Amino acid sequence: DALKDLDSFLQGTQTGRADFTQVVTAPAKDGQVARSKTSSGTFEFQRPGRFKFVYQKPFEQTIVADGRTLWLYDVDLNQVTQRPQAQALGSTPAALLAAAPDLKALRAEFTLETAPEQDGVQWVLARPKAKDGQLHSVRVGFAAGQLAALDILDSFGQRSLIRFANVQNNPALPATAFQFKPPAGADVLKP
Amino acid sequence: CSTPPSPTATSGALRTHWSGRLALQLEGQAAQSFSAAFELDGNPLHGELRLLSPFGNTLVQLDWKPGHARLHSGETTQESSSLEDLLEQATGAAIPVTALFSWLSGIPATSDGWHADLSAIGQGKMLAQRQTPEPRATLRITFER
Repeated sequence: DALKDLDSFLQGTQTGRADFTQVVTAPAKDGQVARSKTSSGTFEFQRPGRFKFVYQKPFEQTIVADGRTLWLYDVDLNQVTQRPQAQALGSTPAALLAAAPDLKALRAEFTLETAPEQDGVQWVLARPKAKDGQLHSVRVGFAAGQLAALDILDSFGQRSLIRFANVQNNPALPATAFQFKPPAGADVLKP
Repeated sequence: CSTPPSPTATSGALRTHWSGRLALQLEGQAAQSFSAAFELDGNPLHGELRLLSPFGNTLVQLDWKPGHARLHSGETTQESSSLEDLLEQATGAAIPVTALFSWLSGIPATSDGWHADLSAIGQGKMLAQRQTPEPRATLRITFER
């Protein structure tokens, strides 16, 4: 079942690479159609605690967690934001995927239960224990035992569905895969 | 009260939605910075601003109508008669909302110390700076046209 898939994913996959498509749907306003926006790019991770989201469309943005620092590079703003990783990630879905070594570690931050299967995807429902109130719940989806999707609902009712494709388990990643160096001329901010 | 005539976008239709990223930098001892993705709806009298994390989840949501503004973050909601005060709390500076709607529509507007550079507004970029009061603030916005 999905919990077993998640456990074997957390324990068996030390590194990973995939393409992703993300659809963010705002909560529908009274009577209006819910507005959604699609973005896409590539996702890589290396346990414990390193990952990289490179958004290519509709705008370029790179998010790198190098194990200590979370870097955000916004190409249009020509700006890099740098935050201590622990403080910035907390119980975000990205941390859930890339950091936790196994279910037990995940259970420290989330309550976990299997959720109903949907169009061929088996889901685990994870609810954060931290009451910082930003995240309502996260569903992690597997298809034939392979990571397929992340479905994130925040406490404002905004939903972010990330679908993974071309998933590679345990690819060899260069040592520099998660090193980030601010490009010359970019503003570097430390909030 | 009647709604002031609002600027119309190029297509003549009244543009009431902007989506993009903003970055705010404060200089001097209060050196501080804030950056987030945003969704802005409505107009200076009635509207909503949502600040989002790079991953797309909502950080805070502000909504306002004449004389009444609210800041929702996670579990708590704060109310105030001044939207700018709540904006200062959420971002670090009292971003002038009326001027912001004008700037995003490509219309120059100055407001208590803020001056905007709209030269790149056609590419969906703008910069605004506040000289006074201290600390000096620089607001950079890029939005989908």
